[in-house]
Amino acid sequence: MSKFEVPEVDYERYSNRQLAAIPLVLLAVALVVLAALWVTTGTPVPLGIDFTGGTELTVQTDTPRGELAAAFDVQPANIQAAAGTAEPQYIVTFADTGDSTNGSILAEQARANLEPTCSDVEECAVVQSRQSTTPRFASSAQNTALVGITIAFAGMSVLAFALFRSFVPSVAIVISAFSDIAIPLAIMGLVGINLSLGTVAALLMLIGYSVDSDILLNNHILRREGGFYESTARAMRTGVTMTLTSLSAMAVMAVTAWLFGIELMASIGIVLVLGLATDLLNTYMLNLSLLRWYKLGEVGN
Amino acid sequence: MADLRSNWRVVLLVVMLSLSAIVLFVPSATLSEGEVTGPTNLQYGLELNGGTRIRTPVTGMSATQLDVQRADDDVVRNVSESLGVPSLDVAVRDCTASNVDCRTEEGHVVEVFNDSVTAEQLVDVLRAQGIARIDGSQVTTEHVRDDPSPETYARMASSIQSKLDATGLSGGTATVASAANGQRYVVVEAPNREPEALVELLDERGLVQLTVRYPGNESMQEDVLVDANGIRTVDPPRRSEAGSGWEVPVKLTEQGGTRFQNILNSVGFTSDRNYQSCPANATATRTRNDDGYCLLTVVNGDVKGAFSMDGRLAQTIRSEQFANDPRFFFTAGNQSEAQRIQTNIEAGALPAPLDLDQRQTFTLEGALADQFKLNALITAIVAVLAVSFTVYIRYGNATVAAPMVVTALSEVALLLGFASIVGLPLDLSHIAGFIAVIGTGVDDLIIIADEVMAEKVSSQRVFQSRFRKAFWVIGAAAATTIVAMSPLAVLSLGDLRGFAIITILGVLIGVLVTRPAYGDILRALVTGDK
Repeated sequence: MSKFEVPEVDYERYSNRQLAAIPLVLLAVALVVLAALWVTTGTPVPLGIDFTGGTELTVQTDTPRGELAAAFDVQPANIQAAAGTAEPQYIVTFADTGDSTNGSILAEQARANLEPTCSDVEECAVVQSRQSTTPRFASSAQNTALVGITIAFAGMSVLAFALFRSFVPSVAIVISAFSDIAIPLAIMGLVGINLSLGTVAALLMLIGYSVDSDILLNNHILRREGGFYESTARAMRTGVTMTLTSLSAMAVMAVTAWLFGIELMASIGIVLVLGLATDLLNTYMLNLSLLRWYKLGEVGN
Repeated sequence: MADLRSNWRVVLLVVMLSLSAIVLFVPSATLSEGEVTGPTNLQYGLELNGGTRIRTPVTGMSATQLDVQRADDDVVRNVSESLGVPSLDVAVRDCTASNVDCRTEEGHVVEVFNDSVTAEQLVDVLRAQGIARIDGSQVTTEHVRDDPSPETYARMASSIQSKLDATGLSGGTATVASAANGQRYVVVEAPNREPEALVELLDERGLVQLTVRYPGNESMQEDVLVDANGIRTVDPPRRSEAGSGWEVPVKLTEQGGTRFQNILNSVGFTSDRNYQSCPANATATRTRNDDGYCLLTVVNGDVKGAFSMDGRLAQTIRSEQFANDPRFFFTAGNQSEAQRIQTNIEAGALPAPLDLDQRQTFTLEGALADQFKLNALITAIVAVLAVSFTVYIRYGNATVAAPMVVTALSEVALLLGFASIVGLPLDLSHIAGFIAVIGTGVDDLIIIADEVMAEKVSSQRVFQSRFRKAFWVIGAAAATTIVAMSPLAVLSLGDLRGFAIITILGVLIGVLVTRPAYGDILRALVTGDK
């Protein structure tokens, strides 16, 4: 079995400015995208029903997908087929209509108008699951999510300063972590992945993962003996392996969970894949250039 | 013995794994009393078992930090009369008492559970009653929260719990959760229940009363004879011997029986054959009678039964012998109504109505839940295989990679053992947490492996120093993960709480037990030291 080696990058060929440019430009683009979405749609990322209110039904039916919408009085916001199930299942999402009985009414309409997959309704209920959130809940969830991410980020920043007790290396960690969250958020906004409780969990996990590789790099460069490039190479061998391992696990999880229609696990997987890929860039270009500037001063090209 | 001592971390891991296996697989080897299904002692939550969950706030408002000098009952009566609401809709809580949670420990809270009352009206009534704030200032609308006190939420949860228990709903639970902005919710979970049935159960206060309605001086009068307080025991509903309806037999308390007897005698119900004068149209339609004397079963203000009394019982009451054996019954039109009356008497009325217009509903069929359970397991296994494959091709060496995967999996095994022993009901979010634990776990094991094998390890001393260095990074990373997750573990953001708790626990188990043990295993393999 051939083993893969983490390639050694010849950092001496690039100046700090060149190294930092790519991740910083990407971060700037991400922030512009988020700002633009905020201005045009009202939120930087499309919000799922957890945060806007609304109803989500999982229906199991022989009615063709194209005719599903006609079964309901309200136009569904989204219809998604769940793969990997024995019987055809669809996840139908409705925006909030401000009526608390909405969920019951929609479920009733589904039972009345959709074809069950077998004759005995006890065996194969049309409405397999249902989730209704009212705006009051949604706004409180929004608030809580925001507070959660803010506290987590602030706590991480304080800890970073406590661990390294010097300005530049700590700030490098904080900027990397920020960018690790901002870039996946912008991609979510562009491709239309909704922010849900699951994706918030994934963003929080990203803070943890992102800091792992940054701490490793900082530790090798600042606290160990050996030259800058030698330390970097050692840190990279370990750090890149870590990130790639997590990345492969999350990619596989995202695909499998998506096939099975387990939304929560699929969305966690997708966001982590995006974030971990971003983290490679941020750790070994942005964080590294800041550390080199801190350790060695300006490096000529 | 020296082997054991130097490898104590591995020994500890093996002991803990065996304990996990015992609590997971040996029947009844768990501390919790929840229902267990399947080959393990694990319990599953709604998302993996099916059922309905409703989260909802409680209707009402609360004026806080008040200086109440009079008896609570007095205040409740005066305030409810001034506001024109039933006395059940007003409550006074003494925050200085122990076990009463009103967000502060000072003064009293006056609460109103009725949407028709505005904060301004409550303030006006409190001022008219001469109730001021503890600092002596006037009450203003600023001091009225648009939410009942935490104490009311706690009472709601326990009251709903008794209601669920009284319906024989096994596994139903009611708890209180709070969001970041301080808003509280009652969370009701019931396996194998449709949301409509659960809402029906929660939608009514469940105030059951027996009243007597009779012609007064100028108009009809109605007095409460019995409420839940006056009842000692209640029996299951039975068909009534007389008509087509159902009745719920009850035994009154001594005090309740005396009150029942005294009121009936004083309003003239037991004399002049008035006990047989309930008009047929009231009996048939279950409405309030316009003439004659009727006994009424009143649930949440609605008449569920109107009936007369037989002569023998009336005779007993008139001769004041009833209180010696105070048995009576409530009538209802059909069996399900009668059952609900029984439930409501057993559980008592809810302290306040629920604001169900604001509810959040989640419901899942058992079949889809089983599908989730299997698919989530497959997803997790596939993710573990991906990790194994990656570390194997990275190190090209099964002696490094295999223990790594085994160690990461043992973290999950320990967590499952923990979940099983405390009876934590597993949901999808917990499974996502397991995946996060494997992810951070393998990261740490890679750090240990790379550090230890960077150059040839010649002695145990070199190994120890390398291992300690690796551990600084691992400890720092673990600390950040815990800090990042802790807000979610404390805040009740629905599904994310389980995720955060499992991740934090997993990181702790990993850093304290499993990851050091991997270091020992690797040392044995690399240095050939046993």
